[in-house]
Amino acid sequence: MRVVPFLIYLILIVFHQVIFRDLSSIYNVSFNLAGFFILCIALYKDEFVVLWFGFAAGIVVSAGDPQQMGWFSLMFAFIGFIAFHVRGRLNLESMSAKLGLIAGGIFLCNIGEIIINGSDNFIFQTVYTALPSTIYTSVVAWLFFLFKEKRITTEKFKSLF
Amino acid sequence: MNLLSNLSYSNWRGIHIALVIVLSLILLFAGSSIKLMVSDTIVDVFYIPFYTLRAYVEEVSNVNDRNQNLAAELAETALELSFHREFARENERLRQILDFEHPTGYRLLQAKVISITGSGVPISAVINCGLDDSVMVNMPVINRFGLVGRVESAMLDNAEVQLLTDPRNRVAVRVASSREMGIVRHLPSEGMLLTAFPNQGKVAVGDTVVSSGLGGIYPPGVQVGIVSGIIRPENQPDAIVHLQPVVNFRSIEQLFVLIPEDKQ
Repeated sequence: MRVVPFLIYLILIVFHQVIFRDLSSIYNVSFNLAGFFILCIALYKDEFVVLWFGFAAGIVVSAGDPQQMGWFSLMFAFIGFIAFHVRGRLNLESMSAKLGLIAGGIFLCNIGEIIINGSDNFIFQTVYTALPSTIYTSVVAWLFFLFKEKRITTEKFKSLF
Repeated sequence: MNLLSNLSYSNWRGIHIALVIVLSLILLFAGSSIKLMVSDTIVDVFYIPFYTLRAYVEEVSNVNDRNQNLAAELAETALELSFHREFARENERLRQILDFEHPTGYRLLQAKVISITGSGVPISAVINCGLDDSVMVNMPVINRFGLVGRVESAMLDNAEVQLLTDPRNRVAVRVASSREMGIVRHLPSEGMLLTAFPNQGKVAVGDTVVSSGLGGIYPPGVQVGIVSGIIRPENQPDAIVHLQPVVNFRSIEQLFVLIPEDKQ
């Protein structure tokens, strides 16, 4: 297993957290890149990889708050692990199946983050943060899969104009 | 080695899962020093370069904002400075006016030019005083340098001043040193001239020409111009004397209407 691509994913997660999240957030709703990477790896890589990547991503994401480091690493590893096993029951050729997996996983991640952070108003946070973030991330994931599966190519895009 | 190679996939899987859980639990329940060490390492390796980059970008962005603010402030200050300079000039002008000695028997009514007319050299000006301020037709108008003209028409709150540069205007004058008389008029092609001045009259370049008081409009002794050139044609009764007006008619601004004291 090559480690370099996963290191790059971790660096991208940090880049997103430090620089890009504020720029890309819409009405304080941000894209969950760490969750997206974990779920993509669960879709395309094997069980051990997603387990360890989830663990590492949890540490990296929560590095600013050492008290929650263990919770995040456990949660991300667990969600990656679950997603990997759900993947086996899905028809991966179907876009909606993949998007369903991504959306469900991201929603779980967001709910987990709300619980770990100990938010006062769980319902409010779920409705106004977790759900919109899930939708935002799912839309970006949909575009990503369109490009990845070559349903949209630069040539097709250019031909529109 | 044999033991390791004999482990099946399910055993490996169990070991990985157990390792992840154990490590997570260690991170959960370990002491603060261990957590801080891990956290500091991650921050140093992954976060610091991006925070540095972000701080740099923010600084550049702030510098740009500050630059724009400073440019706006600079423009504002430049405008303010220009107003202050104008106030300083006005202050200087008013100070000089305080020292100004006006002809006796007249009261000075301060007036501001609100418009001028004439192509090239102005020939008339409108001032902001009129009948309401006791301004009447034919009252002389001066400034601190000398004679400017006379009131040609007066409305309630403004009046039109016929300047000396109007070719229709004539002023009876004397050469201050020799007391010889003549008439000053302004021709657009030749400028201000002292006419009706005898060819043998005593005048020299640099002599001052003042109003004579004859004619009843202008008071005597008000400066009109300085002799700048003299031509004495042969077999002609009159000399051609060129004058440099003491008043710069292109920059008139603060004027005084001379109101006879008996008309107050």
